[in-house]
Amino acid sequence: MVGTEYVPMTPKAAKEIWSAKVNGESVEELITSNAILLDVLRDQVGTLGVKRGCDLGTCGCCTVIIDGDARLSCLCLAGQVAGSEITTVEGLSEGAHLAPIQSCFAEHGGSQCGFCTPGFLLSAQALLTENDSPSDKEISCAIEGNLCRCTGYQQIVDSIKAAAEIHRGEAEPVQPASNPHPNPHPEGPDQPSMPPGHAR
Amino acid sequence: MSAGYRQQPNSARKDGKRVAGKQVFPPPGSGGSDPVMKERDLNFIPESVGGKEPQPAGSHIHDRIRTGTVIGKPLPLVDSNAKVTGQAWYGDDVRLANESIGKILRSPHHYAKIISIDTSKVEALPGVIAVATGADSPHSFGVLPVTKDEHAMAVEKVRHMGDLVACVSAVDEATAIEALGLFEIEWELLEPVFDPKKGLEDHDDPIHWRGKYHLAKTNVQKRVFQEFGDRSLVENPFSSSHGKWTMAGVHHGFTEPHAVVAHWDPNGRLQLYTPQQVPHYTHRALSTVLDVPMHQINVIRTFVGGGFGGKSDPFPHEMCAAILARKSGRPVRITFDREEVYWINRGRHPSNIEVKMTADDEGRISGFDIDALIDGGGFASFGHVTSYYNGVLATAPYELGSFHYTGARVWTNKPASGAMRGHGAVNTRCAVEVGLDEMAEEMNVDPIDLRLANLLPPHSRTITGFRITSNGMREALERVREGSNWDEKFRKLPLGKGIGIGCGFFISGSGLPIHWDPNRFPHATVHIQVDMDGGVTVHTGAADIGQGSTTAVAQVVSEVLALPIEMIHVRSHESDTSPVDLGSYSSRVTFMNANAAIRAALDIREKLLDAAWDILGYHPNTLIINDRRIYYKHDPAIGVSYLQALHKAQEDKGALISSGSYRSPPMGGVHKGAAAGLAPAYSFSAYVAEVDVDIELGLIKCTNVWAAHDCGKALNPLAVKGQIIGSCHMGLGQVLSEKMVYGRTGHLQNANLLEYKIPSIHEMPHVEPIIVESSDPEGPFGAKEAGEGPLLPILPAVVNAVYDAIGIRYNDLPLTPDIIFKGVEKKRKKLKLEEATELPSPRFTHGPKSIELQKSLMKRSQEHKKRDLARQKTEDTSPYVNGVLFGFDPNIPLEDQVEGWRMATEPDPEQLAELGLAGRAWLKKEQRQMESEK
Repeated sequence: MVGTEYVPMTPKAAKEIWSAKVNGESVEELITSNAILLDVLRDQVGTLGVKRGCDLGTCGCCTVIIDGDARLSCLCLAGQVAGSEITTVEGLSEGAHLAPIQSCFAEHGGSQCGFCTPGFLLSAQALLTENDSPSDKEISCAIEGNLCRCTGYQQIVDSIKAAAEIHRGEAEPVQPASNPHPNPHPEGPDQPSMPPGHAR
Repeated sequence: MSAGYRQQPNSARKDGKRVAGKQVFPPPGSGGSDPVMKERDLNFIPESVGGKEPQPAGSHIHDRIRTGTVIGKPLPLVDSNAKVTGQAWYGDDVRLANESIGKILRSPHHYAKIISIDTSKVEALPGVIAVATGADSPHSFGVLPVTKDEHAMAVEKVRHMGDLVACVSAVDEATAIEALGLFEIEWELLEPVFDPKKGLEDHDDPIHWRGKYHLAKTNVQKRVFQEFGDRSLVENPFSSSHGKWTMAGVHHGFTEPHAVVAHWDPNGRLQLYTPQQVPHYTHRALSTVLDVPMHQINVIRTFVGGGFGGKSDPFPHEMCAAILARKSGRPVRITFDREEVYWINRGRHPSNIEVKMTADDEGRISGFDIDALIDGGGFASFGHVTSYYNGVLATAPYELGSFHYTGARVWTNKPASGAMRGHGAVNTRCAVEVGLDEMAEEMNVDPIDLRLANLLPPHSRTITGFRITSNGMREALERVREGSNWDEKFRKLPLGKGIGIGCGFFISGSGLPIHWDPNRFPHATVHIQVDMDGGVTVHTGAADIGQGSTTAVAQVVSEVLALPIEMIHVRSHESDTSPVDLGSYSSRVTFMNANAAIRAALDIREKLLDAAWDILGYHPNTLIINDRRIYYKHDPAIGVSYLQALHKAQEDKGALISSGSYRSPPMGGVHKGAAAGLAPAYSFSAYVAEVDVDIELGLIKCTNVWAAHDCGKALNPLAVKGQIIGSCHMGLGQVLSEKMVYGRTGHLQNANLLEYKIPSIHEMPHVEPIIVESSDPEGPFGAKEAGEGPLLPILPAVVNAVYDAIGIRYNDLPLTPDIIFKGVEKKRKKLKLEEATELPSPRFTHGPKSIELQKSLMKRSQEHKKRDLARQKTEDTSPYVNGVLFGFDPNIPLEDQVEGWRMATEPDPEQLAELGLAGRAWLKKEQRQMESEK
């Protein structure tokens, strides 16, 4: 925004109807023909989990999965991906159940401030969908386009490895702590809870 | 009731007040979702109260309130589910109905007077809603009360390229951007200053004018002189080092650009949503700038997408949004693009640092001179403090014979520097640690042994009078030495491979708050309220910027009340509901907020135990509080559920609400600047870094880091490790690649993440985090900070490792390939070698004298180790001040027993001639002195 010379903006682009499948749901939006996918997703579709970090394709915060590939939505015209299947971070979880990659990021400290997290999650998810036993090198290459300033990446790699184990079926998915207990009164409602191992 | 269950005793209490009758127990699983009470986890209950948790550093005052619930266990952050689902709401995610988009017009000139601004064309543009200029906000503000030199928008002149000139809000972003081009501004260009050295000279138009306190007509914002100790020790040194450093400015590089949403609600109150580390200072500044009392403003901290100090100033764009929203009556959202983030900056100061050190023939550090000229950019920000920190935080953990510091911070026409992780301490720490390495090289002794033989013990005072309590420096050094296999590698690796050591020392919470006067106002306050069904809501103003302060507060409450952490809800977003808190800076949150939270939780716990006493008839001292149940120590069958005690307490005393606060103890000396660097506790760290240097390409690859940090007690090891590894990442960026590049014309050339090189995953070494627990006597459960201190040692560790690899000392940061290459070529030509790959690798060249010295150092460090252990466990409580190593008596003031022991905050007239670069600021006189001379 530096400068005082007045340069008139280019004439406003024509409007067009854009449709795509975002997180499994068909959406239709009236967009300008030169709209950036990131803007459409954030301002019109309302998936605010897609983050804007740099607008230059350098930070990876705006990564989304388009037809199976992790791509940067800030470097993508919405028109280019009309009709595609787009997954944002909101589409990773199934209802109240976190995807393995999400619960592992929470569990292993893969997310600190959390701003870069959606981008990392989607880059990692795209990797794990293709390859559920990635090597260290493959993990590094999958997330090389994502910058994280908090974690130093080490715990992110740990999280992705843990999620890969779940994908391979070698580990149990993490149960969310707040899952209500199926039977809150196993011994009847008037039984006091006792120190474990202590005879009643 | 099933068999075997014993009812409460039917006896009356001794005071006869109450008879404990038969009680119908409420359903099990009272509060929380798990019906079965969890066993007391003895592994997380300290030895001193009958648990199994080892306490090498001795017992702690909080041991008796440990319940083994969460403290010391690796826990995910309590808000991590919001972050992994995309539901965390950051600044730009706040979307209010009927919002308008604000944009800021930034200065195209480095330094210029604004003659006039014509906004008529802007206002005429369809779609523009409101326009504001400097005339709308005459009041100045700033984070420090002594240096309020910022305005929402430039009032008289712009001070750097990108400085705010005007702002506009419009129906959409495109219109707002178009409107920015329609301002008609008449400028009068002024002569800009870019070089901090020029800032020391007189200038026709100093960037700011401080009236009678202004230093001649220079651009010096703050000058510092500090001298402690016996200067005679410096004469005839056995060994010495001298480093002249140039360190580039670096930026925090947080991933979330600044964003703000302002909205004046129908009652005329301002609701301001902003990702702020320090919402309270923004609150104050808004009140001043908008002329509105603080209670008419609600500052809502959104999730913060990384702060690192870069979101701790009150920012002009926050004022702009509020002004535009007030003018238009519509919510205004302003989001920065990445370039604007660099214009507002507040990153680490570009510094010119000179460090001279001397050691005597016993390997004691006799002289320690620092001269730091730091480039503050256009505004003061935290600079007043930074100029002190550059000197005083470099002294410990070493025992020094003398300390001499001259510092100056100058204004230049560049984006303002400010606080960044490791505030003020990082650059000088690097220079000092490399200086020590040089001295060890000259004396032919092991640098770790040199350090180990010169450490201050726990419970001692540094040369500048800081009170050190717990001190895990020795253990940190020993553990990285062992972990890295140091003795097998140092000075033994082939050319191109090297290993280096660095130490760190940082404050754990600033001892004096910035704003409070009188200073007895608490630093942190936490309120707790308990719901009917047992849920606990904690109100705190602590700003979670990703470091996990919300988790830390939830954890301590959970631990004290022995409740599952899911039952603790921390509310910290709104200034309306949270008690005043000074925010997340100077690594204060864990120490101060957790301490306040413990006090508040203890109040609730006491009320619950009293209620249990009433029901059971057993004194609280004999009751154990465990997971949602309180029971008699000697017979766990006798007890009440948490909910039962809670209801009893609520029946007797009404709603269960408590408040706890923390204020730091009185500390420090009386000299000018004594308050800078004071802290209730200090963290210590030691890193060993291993590097591969491609000697032909000049590329450095850091391969391994062993990172030991003394955080007192790791409340949450997962978070502490995350902080340590993250600090390594940020420090590596500064030492290897990050640099704010200012061109010949003063223009910032790399205001984007493409050319500003933050390490990606490929540049990250493997980091082995090592947690050292020294159990601080005043920390919450013994904890100290872990957020900033771990950054300091990585820089010198890498620089020293590069020397070990190729035998060349570098004094310019970052160590980019061109700098490495230049150094290699210079040395190759000097040694008349054909190929750079023939350079000699540095090796020990032991002589009889150095072997003797090495042995005496090792002997001394063994003796000191015993001394430290006794002091850490408070078996030895004798006073210890800096200087005992030199044979002084700690019970007599040093001035009285040592001839020539000096403590000065202003130079003597004869010293003026010898001062270093920054010291030259002392050659100038303040305006008031000049006036009085006339």
